[in-house]
Amino acid sequence: MKPALRILSGPAGTLLLVVVMMSVVMIVAGSTPWAGFGALFGGALGGPHELAETLAQTTALLFPALGICLAFRAGLFNIGAEGQLLLGGLAAGALGANFTGPGWLAVPMILAAGIVGGGLWGALAGWMKSRFNANEIISTLMLNYVAISIANYLVAGPLKSPLATGAETAPLPASSWLPTLIPDTRLTIALLIAVGIAALLQFVFARTVFGYELRALGEAPEAARRNHVDINRLTWMAMGLSGAIAGLGGAAIVAGELHRFNTQLSPGYGFTAIAVALVGDLHPLWICLAAFGFGILEAGGLAMQASAGVPKDAIHLIEGIIILVLAAKRFVSTRVEVPAV
Amino acid sequence: MTQSVIVTLLVLTVIKAVPIIYAALGGVISERSGVINIGLEGMMVAGAFSSVVISFYLSPALGTTVGPLVGLLVGVAIGALIGWILGIAATKFKVDQIVAGIGINLICTGGAAYGLVLVFNQPGASSQVPALGGPNLPLFDLHAGAVALLAVAFVCALGLSWLIYKTPWGLRVQACGENPHAVKSAGLDPLKARLLAVTISGALAGLGGAFLSIGELNIYSDGMTAGRGFIALAAVIFGRWTPWGATGAAIFFGFFEALQYVLQGHVAWLPADAMQALPYVAALVALAGITGRVRAPAADGVPF
Repeated sequence: MKPALRILSGPAGTLLLVVVMMSVVMIVAGSTPWAGFGALFGGALGGPHELAETLAQTTALLFPALGICLAFRAGLFNIGAEGQLLLGGLAAGALGANFTGPGWLAVPMILAAGIVGGGLWGALAGWMKSRFNANEIISTLMLNYVAISIANYLVAGPLKSPLATGAETAPLPASSWLPTLIPDTRLTIALLIAVGIAALLQFVFARTVFGYELRALGEAPEAARRNHVDINRLTWMAMGLSGAIAGLGGAAIVAGELHRFNTQLSPGYGFTAIAVALVGDLHPLWICLAAFGFGILEAGGLAMQASAGVPKDAIHLIEGIIILVLAAKRFVSTRVEVPAV
Repeated sequence: MTQSVIVTLLVLTVIKAVPIIYAALGGVISERSGVINIGLEGMMVAGAFSSVVISFYLSPALGTTVGPLVGLLVGVAIGALIGWILGIAATKFKVDQIVAGIGINLICTGGAAYGLVLVFNQPGASSQVPALGGPNLPLFDLHAGAVALLAVAFVCALGLSWLIYKTPWGLRVQACGENPHAVKSAGLDPLKARLLAVTISGALAGLGGAFLSIGELNIYSDGMTAGRGFIALAAVIFGRWTPWGATGAAIFFGFFEALQYVLQGHVAWLPADAMQALPYVAALVALAGITGRVRAPAADGVPF
């Protein structure tokens, strides 16, 4: 390969492709790349508040993306992060509104509730897979819809705050809020927790038996089985942990931003997170970087829509194309003739 | 229940089943050839959206009969195009089919949401467009054009069944799904058969989507496919990868979707949210309930 081509086939090429495609959708929408990118980056990185919003979006995407990463590495296609995040947030909101213990315990308990809520929902799909061999792609997607129904029912009925006009739980007392990193923004210490989980996940994959078994299950399930790895146990544990991380993300939004639970908790973080995890090559530290990139797109996208008239949804179109291109590129760059089995 | 309620339930079952039948048939042909089509949902979205757009632009010029009909055809063609793209990714570039399918879904849902703003200048939903026409048939409460699509779904099941089991190409497709290396050894190109199968799959899913938008309704809105592409994948498994089995499974899921509409007027103790979850719960139970009694094509999802 010529050097120029080699550079293009790496991350620089992907970035160039994004810029070109973004320009196209901006021109098609009747704007110019100049105005569009100006609005995008101005809205995402233009000042401390803009940066805080971008990092808040990064955080919201990072939790479910790390959960998805864990499951995908084990060969389990968990596309139910949205539902797991929602039920994690629901559990956190329900507990937070009724918590009566000592104040210092409130935040840890709320976050733990998120872990349990999301974890159980993920483990349910894992159990269906290990016990009934139910395809997890379909089951997790179906469970997303069931989760929305459960949340809708509970916040409109049993958990509805008597004081609220809309369907939402009672507000959390200020003592249960996550501390902010920049005052008067949505950026909280949840970002640090998420990055910490990324590091932990990296350690687990690289250094622990459990991580090794997870990767073995994903890359060579037959070899794992022959080496007496308990695949059933590993399956529901991986799905449970995957859901738990997503659920923690839901709890972080409840305790850090909304300070109550309602079903508008997530505008589809769990789905965008799949793209984040894939663009991050299922590598926890790369995923942090990918989440920041997507955070820029999500936060700047609103500004791009408002001041340059380019619909924000174009970003999802481009995310999809990137996933396809990256998947195809992996083949092109590793192409070797493999003899037929 | 009175007789009229039962009739309503049966008719509504067919209406709700038909888009799932189309997508599930698409899933059958694709998986029989060895390509898992996670992108069915996106292909339905593409079909639903493009047919509305075409009807919107062409109906003023061509009339409200021909316009939607052209829209329907374009919906099928766009579905086929997206299927072809997945097929190229799966055959020529040997990508992970599930990852590619996820990408396709993002492209289609994001593209439709973007297109809504460009074409109709409003997010969320299109304006009303002329739908498939003809006299309104009272039993179905649908126009004749949409009712024709109900019948076409069963014709497609019949046709696909013939194609898979009775034609040389169909036998080749089956072989590609079981052992593509054997097909290659016989001097045939398994990738070609797979590419065509996934293209047909996309066309069928596009047709299912178009039925939703300009058959049953006269509008496209974000999220209107509501996971039907994935319910169709469940129907493929529940129907044991056969056209008639998948059709039956789709009707089963359609029944639960119809049930929620019928129950909403008659049963007070069951909350509306629980009824909305019915079709998804039915798919989950069906998926779990057929353990060990089904076997996917051996090379399903394995790149060649």
